[in-house]
Amino acid sequence: MKMIDVIQYKGNGGGVNSLVAVVLIAFGFLILIPIIGVQRTTDFIIFCIYVLGYSILYGYMGRLSFGHMLYFGTGAYATTLFTVYFSENPFLALSFGIVAGAMVGLLLGPIIIRTTGACFALINLAFNQVGYFFALVAFPEYTGGEDGKSAAFSQIGFIDFSNRIVMFAFALVFLISIFYVLKKLTESSYGVLIKSIKEDEGRVKFLGYNTSTYKIITFVISTTVTAFAGSVTILNYGYMTTGFIDPVRNVEVIFATLIGGPESLYGAIIGGVSYMIISNFLAIYIPRWEMFLGIALLLIVFRFRKGVWGFISEVVNRKISASG
Amino acid sequence: MIPINSIAYGLTLGGILYIISIGLSLTFGTMRIVNFAHPVAYTLGAYFLITLLPLIGHNFFVGAVIAVLAVIPVGFIIERFVIRKLYGVSIDYAIIATYAVFLIGIDSIKWIWGTTPIPLSDPIGKDIVISSVTLPLYRVIVIFVSLTIYALLWIFFKKSMAGKIVIASLEDKEAVRSLGINVEKYFSFVFVLGSFLAGIGGVLYAPITSVHPYMGFMLLLISFAVVIVGGLGNIQGTFVSSFALGMVMAITGWYWPPASEAMVFVVMAVVLIFKPIEV
Repeated sequence: MKMIDVIQYKGNGGGVNSLVAVVLIAFGFLILIPIIGVQRTTDFIIFCIYVLGYSILYGYMGRLSFGHMLYFGTGAYATTLFTVYFSENPFLALSFGIVAGAMVGLLLGPIIIRTTGACFALINLAFNQVGYFFALVAFPEYTGGEDGKSAAFSQIGFIDFSNRIVMFAFALVFLISIFYVLKKLTESSYGVLIKSIKEDEGRVKFLGYNTSTYKIITFVISTTVTAFAGSVTILNYGYMTTGFIDPVRNVEVIFATLIGGPESLYGAIIGGVSYMIISNFLAIYIPRWEMFLGIALLLIVFRFRKGVWGFISEVVNRKISASG
Repeated sequence: MIPINSIAYGLTLGGILYIISIGLSLTFGTMRIVNFAHPVAYTLGAYFLITLLPLIGHNFFVGAVIAVLAVIPVGFIIERFVIRKLYGVSIDYAIIATYAVFLIGIDSIKWIWGTTPIPLSDPIGKDIVISSVTLPLYRVIVIFVSLTIYALLWIFFKKSMAGKIVIASLEDKEAVRSLGINVEKYFSFVFVLGSFLAGIGGVLYAPITSVHPYMGFMLLLISFAVVIVGGLGNIQGTFVSSFALGMVMAITGWYWPPASEAMVFVVMAVVLIFKPIEV
């Protein structure tokens, strides 16, 4: 591995300043509060964390996972079970969720990243199915089986997560810090490297990089962020069911990533919010929800591959080049 | 000692898995498309059968034939309007598009027939006794049907021109195309053939399990495992791995029933560790 080359890379610069972006995102979610209420906004934010975790793997490294609910569920189950069996301290429970996500990533990563394309998608789905089996059937006395389990969190000083404003504030801080870190990462030489793996892994290998290491790192980052989203979901809802690890729900995050624009972190946020708006507000008017999702996915694949963010940046670029 | 009944069950399951997986394997091998829409044909076959049965006086054989034939136009429509547009598109988009077809198809099924599982009784209801072991005759017939399909496909691929073109396309699509053969036409045929076989699988498996909209999803995942273990686009490999994984499911099910499906994926993971697939 030629670390020197990686370190010497100066980053591609350009784009929006990370801090400005973070402030804009925070501001955007604050505007949402009076429109849709605090609780829904918190849901939106948590889902955006999940989409970010997915986007780093699919959008940047080009590996389509069809089983990310496993990692989401890992975080959710780890956090809940931690509160039930060890401590009700919310921060310890969250940390346990994160560690569990990273551990699952490290355990499965070396097997999963050996595949690409279709197999990558399927092996994730298969592991998701195994995880679902563990949660639902294998150990119902610990996981609560189909009924799930509720998680209670204790108050730490003045921080009480049952207060919706506190929950919202923490969720927002979590989201923007993850966004900031991922933005820095993807703009660094590491980001360029994983994008190169997406374009042509063989050439990256030929340049002397150990692509497996980078693929495992990216995979673990993705599972960790996804598990974290699962943990925060539990913190927000206070109960856990098998719905949090159900493989049938994988399509949600894929849809969100695609509609926002997979090749950008902004796209992930836009996609997360768009999906949540559609599923929270439009779903009432859509009698056949799955059919709607299917038709929308077909339209995206055949007509609208760059997503909302890709569309916006294209229009902006055209304006810039037209005026200059 | 594993009871003979479990072994027989494994063979039945292997037969069903073979009938379903061969379509997936062929579609993947020729078109490089992972067909998530495969369970639509499978589930529709089963639903057509249960709709037809009361109309034709519960004659299972006639109902099965009509139901399987009715699946063919559905396969044709999916091929014409979705799959054909996916040639040369990145494999991720192909997965998403076929998954979208799956969502639309399953939701249509839920719309028409509802979500309640519908049980279907054993159409023969007789047992056969082989040296003190009692087996339902229906399961033995399923094993024979799958073996017959294997033999017919073998003849098709070895003896007919179309079959030979498909086999050659599995090896090298560009070379076949450069001979002036319209490979896409044969791919369409392969896709419809796969849907047709999936329909047979659905009809045959319906009396063993119950009929419900998501009956195909789990079986699709297991079929994917079969295809990966057997080698993508490998026709003989699919046959061997179907029966091997069918046995794995039956034997695991004998020790601990709920684990039988998870075990298949464990086997698949082990295979992938020793034989990574670069696609």
